[in-house]
Amino acid sequence: MKQIKHLMGLELKARLKRTIILAILVLTFCLTIFSSGAAGQEDTENNQPVSDEGFFNRFITYVKNLFSGEEGKLHSSGEIPKTGAADIQQSAEPEQAVLKIATPDVIKSASLVGDTSLGIFAHLSNPPLMKMDAEGHIVGQLAENYSVSENNTRWTFYIRDDLYWSDGEKVTPEDVEFSIRYYGEKTPWASWINDTLENSTVSDADNSVTFKFNKPYTRVNMEFATYDILPAHVWKKIENPVEYTSNGPYVGCGPYYLKLIDLNAGKLIFEKNPYWKGKMPEFETVEIHFYSNVDVATLALKNGEADSYYKYAGSYPYSGIEQLEKTGNFDFLEKTNVGLVFLAPNLKKAPFSDPKFREALADSINYEELARLETLGYGEVPNSGFVPSAMENYKETEKLEYSPEKAREILKKAGYSDSNGNGILEGKDGKDIKLEILIRPDYARTGELLDEYFEQIGLSADLKTVDSDTWITLKDSYNYDLTVTRSTPWGMLMHSSWGSGYFDSRRTGQGVMHNLEDPAFLQLCDNILATTDSAELQKYAYELQDYYADNLPAIPLYWSKSVTPFNRHFEGWYADPLYGIYNLDTFTNVTKVEA
Amino acid sequence: MSEIARKVTRYFTSLVLIIIINFILPRLMPGDPVKNLIGEDAYVSEEVMEELRAELGLNLPFSEQFISYTSNLLHFDLGYSYHLHAPVAEILLNKMSWTLIFVGVSVVIGTLLGCFLGALAGWKPERKASHFTSFTFVVLSCIPPYFLALLTLYIFSFKLGLFPSKGFYDTPEIGSVLHHLFLPVCVMSVFSASRNFLVMRGSVIQEKEQLYALYARAKGLYNTDILFRHIIKNASLPIITLLALDFGFLFSGALFIEIIFSLNGMGVMIYNAIMGKDYPLLQGAFLVIAFTALLANMFADLLYILIDPRVRGGSMDESV
Repeated sequence: MKQIKHLMGLELKARLKRTIILAILVLTFCLTIFSSGAAGQEDTENNQPVSDEGFFNRFITYVKNLFSGEEGKLHSSGEIPKTGAADIQQSAEPEQAVLKIATPDVIKSASLVGDTSLGIFAHLSNPPLMKMDAEGHIVGQLAENYSVSENNTRWTFYIRDDLYWSDGEKVTPEDVEFSIRYYGEKTPWASWINDTLENSTVSDADNSVTFKFNKPYTRVNMEFATYDILPAHVWKKIENPVEYTSNGPYVGCGPYYLKLIDLNAGKLIFEKNPYWKGKMPEFETVEIHFYSNVDVATLALKNGEADSYYKYAGSYPYSGIEQLEKTGNFDFLEKTNVGLVFLAPNLKKAPFSDPKFREALADSINYEELARLETLGYGEVPNSGFVPSAMENYKETEKLEYSPEKAREILKKAGYSDSNGNGILEGKDGKDIKLEILIRPDYARTGELLDEYFEQIGLSADLKTVDSDTWITLKDSYNYDLTVTRSTPWGMLMHSSWGSGYFDSRRTGQGVMHNLEDPAFLQLCDNILATTDSAELQKYAYELQDYYADNLPAIPLYWSKSVTPFNRHFEGWYADPLYGIYNLDTFTNVTKVEA
Repeated sequence: MSEIARKVTRYFTSLVLIIIINFILPRLMPGDPVKNLIGEDAYVSEEVMEELRAELGLNLPFSEQFISYTSNLLHFDLGYSYHLHAPVAEILLNKMSWTLIFVGVSVVIGTLLGCFLGALAGWKPERKASHFTSFTFVVLSCIPPYFLALLTLYIFSFKLGLFPSKGFYDTPEIGSVLHHLFLPVCVMSVFSASRNFLVMRGSVIQEKEQLYALYARAKGLYNTDILFRHIIKNASLPIITLLALDFGFLFSGALFIEIIFSLNGMGVMIYNAIMGKDYPLLQGAFLVIAFTALLANMFADLLYILIDPRVRGGSMDESV
């Protein structure tokens, strides 16, 4: 018995001992962490406000110092506070002069002509002939200016005289002629060039190239704002440019040339074109970094691994803006997006072919709520004229208003009533109206909100959220009642512009509705396509927006802003409505400044 | 019919079925590869679309497309990717080599770690350490890979700054590759280990109650000898099955991990191929995955025969 007691006593003592040792170790550990965190804060007081970091952050700081072996330095140089990490990283590398852009537009293939995203990024090395300025006007880029014949068939572009390829060769009108013809012959999406281009000539006397089309074509200047100009002496040897892949370098004539495409490292590297005679960019290198996940891209921005963010036809995620704002290191460039999200009724089907029914639908939508929830304050209630204010020749039409009472009234007057009292309106055929709303994956929440709004005016709806391919299949076979979709900046400009390309029934395409057969609308499109006169264009543009407002072939749901964050150590960012910040003006103007 | 002939017939039938399904499945998906190629906003006339369709061989009847597909397969030609603009075999070789480094290493580490710790936890499940490891691995196996990957990236890459956040490398050097792949491999290994741990632990708990374990103890063998020389051999049978099944996963990559770490691997490639209706690439990728899974199963069958004398004797034949 004594032995047992003795043993128990020993065991208790041993336990007590272990507990005391453990407590001392934990205490020492906590003290070390807190003291290292505090030391870091003291020394950064001059530059940054003392942060009230929690235990987690102090622990992180401690481990960071342990691994980087800078414990000793910590007391003298101070810890890099998280809010200042980006500043320090930037200022520690002034000689490298690298501008880094994070993007979720991951390129899939190292094919300059075949990969759409790479084609856009290559605007920096192989700029198109024309560009869009901040106000949405099409102006010269590689071309000094242009002229067009009276019948709109002959377009002459006068090429700038100070352009050189990165291999030292001069940029010639032949290069431009070659590029345009090359796209027409070798790429399916530019086959319109091959179909309509009758002939082309170059003149060395005035450094110009003239394209003669077999029919009037008034949007050539805008089309030529999208095709990268290629060096003829390099590309003429390549038989199939769509299938030609190379990691670079590619000969370019912009301020930079594309030096390397490294898909496994997830980046593109552009280096200064040694023969560039225009405004000299400050940065030796521009790096485009691909992030498959937007959250990770946000963290990269916060951490100073990227200086700005770019997404074609999109904004930096609104939900991430606050995070970046909190760091105090970012400013934001805000531009009203040319593209928009809209509700498209199936105009080939009753009751959606009835303008009164569409008007009632438009009145039933709570636009303010939609804009607030979907854009988190970076959007606005749209006008009935569809076209966002950022577009050239925008006309101020009536703002859309939420008025369920008015909607119910219109429906009643138009003959839609709830005669059986089940809360659902009946159509003119006497059956309950049940809307089938086809939703693209990105707009599931918008669909749910619409469902609620329509229910308030006595319309029941079935939401059908489908993947992109199913959406295209159902949309092309007009197998829907209503659908929620979006337009891109280029989509708004294509065809006869101002979004007409989405509705003209004579067209096809993956993202377009091609459901409007109204002769008045088609005539307007043709009128626009037949003129290059700016006054006439403005008149038709206004008429088109009035048409949209009166007939509501599509109901705009909200206009949004395209927000681009950039590190405030860099200034000179410039955004155009077509490609956002990804333009030559940005890259030749951005400079590094002290915050 | 001998056992070997029966198995060969079974695997050959599986292969034929795989080839047929592989051809049919992508074509059953909604969507048009040609429209996908053109893009959302581009306007192309119907004639050009038809030309493109003819160029890709998509205008032919299904039967002719199938004959052409099988004939190309017999010539070891997997076709040409619509979107990646390269021969499918070349693309797959490149992606598979990266995926093998990244997922293969994870599976090996995860298996070894999971088996070792699982065996220890199963051998003495009443110990605190066993409780702790069991709890940890159960928790880990329940966390979505996407979340764990993001959390790991946040702590070790963005907070501690110890590892890079994306890509297979910064410069194509071995040091850079190891540095970049450390985090994704760790995350994947942890997942693989958690699965193997749970299976191995359960298996060891069952096996240690068997008479042969008691006999080994009666012979005076040490605990470690009993566990690692006798019990683990029998307990590893379900692990072999699990590994064979994992071979499909090995080549299809780990989509979510690849997305978080922006890795240009097989998972993302297959996802993009599905989205873009890149039939040749999808067919090629699925064929390779199915083929390796088939080979792995064959290998597992052989291993069972080697490890388990009952299978050799034919008594467990039906359950294998």
